[in-house]
Amino acid sequence: MKTPDIDLEELKRFKENNFKERLEFIDRYAEWIKKNSNSEWSSQQKVIINQ
Amino acid sequence: MELKFLENQVEIEKELNELDKFVIKFTDILNKLNIKYVIVSGYVSIIFGRNRSSEDIDLIIEKLDYDKFNKLWHKILYNFDCIITENQENAYFEYLLKDNSIRFAERGKFIPNIEIKFPKTELDKWTLQNPLKASLNDNLLFISKIELQIPFKFFLGSEKDIEDAKYLYAIFKNHLDIELLEDFNRKLKIVELFNKYIKTSKNSLK
Repeated sequence: MKTPDIDLEELKRFKENNFKERLEFIDRYAEWIKKNSNSEWSSQQKVIINQ
Repeated sequence: MELKFLENQVEIEKELNELDKFVIKFTDILNKLNIKYVIVSGYVSIIFGRNRSSEDIDLIIEKLDYDKFNKLWHKILYNFDCIITENQENAYFEYLLKDNSIRFAERGKFIPNIEIKFPKTELDKWTLQNPLKASLNDNLLFISKIELQIPFKFFLGSEKDIEDAKYLYAIFKNHLDIELLEDFNRKLKIVELFNKYIKTSKNSLK
């Protein structure tokens, strides 16, 4: 099977950008948590953790 | 989010998830036996809403003599299995006393598990002596001070750790002892990382 050429520099940039986006999401998520009641966010957190 | 801050204590009421219940069940044994412990893992950020799970919860417990360890071992084994060794003497003499950890999971399970160890480093000893009390739905947990947890997560340095640090800072930024936090930043030599990920973000103190 023929596989594509891989540009490791391009993948490195992809990885860095992915991490940057996740960090930005954490800022947004923390802001959302602070604005919402404990019962609201913890019921959503429970769904993820109990999976 | 509703958090109540008292002196060296934070109170939170929330809908408990399975990980919370697991930790409460285990730490209740330590509380009843008056054994000093402190939770130091990523679970600290999960208590306060970080949306991820964890397969292990790390605890440092005070160095126990064999008699006290014996009592603890038997209480724990009512509901949990030690997944490292079934032999109590082995657990104490070959693991804990030799600076290795042992892990307990609920009977018949492997994850999540609680990893306990005696303090090894000066930092472990400080963490154990200076915990933050967390009241989770009226259940008492001793957790690592947030002013140490954030720098230490940067020190560990994986993407997950940096995310945990950033999250904790965003939640606690108005309640931190900044001097203490900056002292740990300097001592752990993570000032640059802290500045990169926190001071330049929207959540920085301005």
